Amino acid sequence: MKEFKFLFAIWKTNLQSAMEYRAAFLTQAIGMMVNNFIYFAIWIIFFDRFKDVRGWGVNDMYVTFGVLASAFGLVSLLFGNAFNLSDIIAKGRLDYYLSLPRPVLLHTIASRTIASGMGDFLYGFVSYGLSGYFTWDGLARYVLATLLAATVFAAFLILTQSLAFWFGMMTNFSNLVLNAMLTFGIYPITLFDSYAKLILFTLIPAALMGAIPAEFIRAFTWQTLGELLLGAIGFLTLAIFTFRMGLRRYESGSAIQIEV
Amino acid sequence: MKSISKYWSIFQITLINSLAYPGELVGRSLMIIPFMWIFYQLWKVTFSAAGAADGMINGLTLRDTLWYLMLAETIELGRPPIARTMSENVKDGSIAYILNKPYDFLLYQFSTAMGETIFRAMLNAVFGGLTVWWLVGTPNHPEGFLIALPAIFGAWILHFSINAMIGLSAFVVEDVSAFTWIYQKLAFIFGGMLIPLDFYPQWLQNIAKLLPFSSAIYGPARLFVTPTLELFISVMSLQITWIIALTFALAIVYRRGLAQLTVNGG
Repeated sequence: MKEFKFLFAIWKTNLQSAMEYRAAFLTQAIGMMVNNFIYFAIWIIFFDRFKDVRGWGVNDMYVTFGVLASAFGLVSLLFGNAFNLSDIIAKGRLDYYLSLPRPVLLHTIASRTIASGMGDFLYGFVSYGLSGYFTWDGLARYVLATLLAATVFAAFLILTQSLAFWFGMMTNFSNLVLNAMLTFGIYPITLFDSYAKLILFTLIPAALMGAIPAEFIRAFTWQTLGELLLGAIGFLTLAIFTFRMGLRRYESGSAIQIEV
Repeated sequence: MKSISKYWSIFQITLINSLAYPGELVGRSLMIIPFMWIFYQLWKVTFSAAGAADGMINGLTLRDTLWYLMLAETIELGRPPIARTMSENVKDGSIAYILNKPYDFLLYQFSTAMGETIFRAMLNAVFGGLTVWWLVGTPNHPEGFLIALPAIFGAWILHFSINAMIGLSAFVVEDVSAFTWIYQKLAFIFGGMLIPLDFYPQWLQNIAKLLPFSSAIYGPARLFVTPTLELFISVMSLQITWIIALTFALAIVYRRGLAQLTVNGG
């Protein structure tokens, strides 16, 4: 409970800080929504021409793209530093968080808000609304699926970026796996054979951020809910464990760091 | 002559600088591999479902499509983020130190952009090319790469002109990220970066093929897979027209932007 209060206090501060530059915040949020609309037009053109990909149509793409965008946006808004955790580790900037009496990982990743995340988060709901699958209980599932997909995504970021404790600067690797996660998450899962699917559930858990949440939103089944819960809990546990293991190896120089 | 050698030196310095961190260069270029693999999965299924007797969709085979996408990705992933760099220069005030040097600001930016592009694009072409080769075999017209080279160079000039204009808008609005996202996505759609324009509905093809985005991506990539004289003339003439129009527009935007620039600190 104490940690939730702490989190809300950080998020409130982040929001106030972002609102200091209101025009920039709104430009980024609206710009990202327009950006997503334009990007999705490619899929509309594709499915208009080729109708479906092994039973996967444009309506399924609306839901998949929507839930992925909302989950991505939620992590950008609430845990923006998860995207540059490896930089923070490699440059010794964890010193600041270590010196304060709050959970290091939570404090670090929640200390930044990416304004464009608001655009992604909201766009996802619009995309779901346009999908033709909209129902009120579906909307409740959409919210739950977004939370679980965001948990998997945040855990994946923490996990991969924590490798910086062992390997130092890894901006390129982080970008590579992030792009792979988003790219594989958007494409129809019916494209992949069973070996590729195994990778998409484990090494790069894109299926748990796109296809499986979308399946759960379209129709409730205990199996998809179980897969999502198991994925979220499993990846989060592994991410926290890896970060803690890495933290034991953490060392920093004498550079003076200023956190603004 | 002396002024050209000045920019040539800037180009050379940036080119050598781009090799200073080979790990970084290689790491960034590896990104093309998962992209090409997923394109292969998508188009393999699509071509198989389309079931055309000659294995073609609108004049392109699966192999052509994959090599087309490889070159389109190489052009896109190879270009440096000029607009963002210019925006950062305005935000942190370093623009003041660039503007007062004895060189033309735009030509300086162009020389550094080209210096950053060459090895980046080469490595993308190598990794992308090897992946596509492994997936679908050699291109039907390997000589197409040489024929498409002038169009690839023209594509980078076009990208530079548009991105520099977006970057110059930082003189007024400071943060240009929203404009760069939207430009990138317009280039995806009207440039035919994820789907060749030939697969679009006819009305959309007609519009897209007239826009500068197609000259920057579709034209060079299509020329690579079907290198005919007729296509070469058509791609190059449209591209040159857009280059003249956009560099002219860029020069005007630069003069106007300079009058509005406010530097905070530095």
